[in-house]
Amino acid sequence: MIWIEGVLVSRGEGGVYGERMLSGARVWDPYRSKLSALYHLGKGIELTNDMRVLYLGAAHGTTVSHVADYTEVVYAVEFAPRPMQDLLEVARRRMNVVPIMADASLPEQYAPLLETVDLLYQDVAQPDQATIALRNCVFLKRGGTLILMLKTRSVDTRREPGLVFSDTVPRLASGGLSVRDNTWLAPYHHDHAAIICVKE
Amino acid sequence: MMQSYWFGDVEGGTCQPFSGGAADIAQRILSRHTSIDHYVPPDWKAALDCGFCRDRADYISKLRAVCVLIAEIKIREKYKSRDTELLQMTRTLDELDTVINLLTERVVEWHQVRQPSFSRKYRRTPTHSLIRMIAQRSGGGLGRVTGDIERLSETRTVLAREVSARADVVMPNCSALIGGLVAARLLLHAGGLEPLARLPGSAIQVLGARIALFSHLRSHTPAPKHGIIFQHRRVHNAPKEIRGKVARVLAAKLAIAARLDFYRGVADLAFIEQAQIRIDAAGEAP
Repeated sequence: MIWIEGVLVSRGEGGVYGERMLSGARVWDPYRSKLSALYHLGKGIELTNDMRVLYLGAAHGTTVSHVADYTEVVYAVEFAPRPMQDLLEVARRRMNVVPIMADASLPEQYAPLLETVDLLYQDVAQPDQATIALRNCVFLKRGGTLILMLKTRSVDTRREPGLVFSDTVPRLASGGLSVRDNTWLAPYHHDHAAIICVKE
Repeated sequence: MMQSYWFGDVEGGTCQPFSGGAADIAQRILSRHTSIDHYVPPDWKAALDCGFCRDRADYISKLRAVCVLIAEIKIREKYKSRDTELLQMTRTLDELDTVINLLTERVVEWHQVRQPSFSRKYRRTPTHSLIRMIAQRSGGGLGRVTGDIERLSETRTVLAREVSARADVVMPNCSALIGGLVAARLLLHAGGLEPLARLPGSAIQVLGARIALFSHLRSHTPAPKHGIIFQHRRVHNAPKEIRGKVARVLAAKLAIAARLDFYRGVADLAFIEQAQIRIDAAGEAP
């Protein structure tokens, strides 16, 4: 990862969402992006330029654009039409972003388009996030990494975030993943946890 | 076992490339059903070996073209649903109301400062006449803003007519029961025709009375009798004692009407007539 005086940046064409530039590189704000927050907390895995990434919940493509700066190709899955319009615009300017309009909980919809990936990154606002992650593990290569951004309030707004979290971890483990690390994303994001797993 | 991918079919290591342009591939993907049970992710080199692409960059660029096409087709499909634009129109209409009210209040206060003798006490001047009066008598910023309010009001009238007309088309049965404008507001609060069609009558009855409903559920204040449907004349004109009853009957009929609108999309005249009779009967004094 590229750090300039404690600021996480990525190298690529700027002006995607009005992000700040720092000596020619795009500042990756931890308060806007959960993945950036993860790196600022000293966790996460190194993104390299030979990596293939499946990104579930791509939304407007802001974090996607940063990931694409680091990696070989990003398969960006998003379901809602309005964010998809923005994502398409990002994909038009970035040759290594493949925009896929589909429901992340139905991987069969986009299975023919994909290939084996090194990193599965998931940031979806759905109640059953563990199941979605497990269903998409079919695309993850053996030894590949899953970074699950658990939005506890999307699982159940009224339950304690800690309980939602402790429910999710064993479910991932029983699906053939080994949980390597986890962290809450405070102070950057509230009630969001990151779970990092490796496919056995 | 044969695997079907976007670039072609692969069986036993040999690939049969799919001939045709990006648009053909997009249509093929949209019409295909892949089962995830026996799915094996493709190796892009299979596409290279059978001559589908020149190199990795070519593979990705062809794939991107297909995916962008698929996304554009799907976006167009999503927006084509009849209620999408009506939702935007209704939202704009309600926001126009808010803006007009806010500005009117402000302008009247401003005018009051300029005219020490001005007061609305003992006068029943309708707001629009007041605005016209201020617009005629004031110059400068105040006159301009007041003029803008008048123009916004005209825009609002035109838009309201459009919303009503569109609602008659999008939700003919609901509109027949409560009028296009109120029907459109119901649609807005439910978030679309499909969610509205899935709501039970009891929910439609209190749609838009969220604060009252939750205060009832939390601290047992009296239950709300009506939400948006209060704006319909048969509810707000009914005597207070039977207003709840009228709202309940109307909401139950609306629930059926919404389903007719969503699943059939055309007016069911027999249903509308029966429902009107039933609602009118509920409104008659016991």
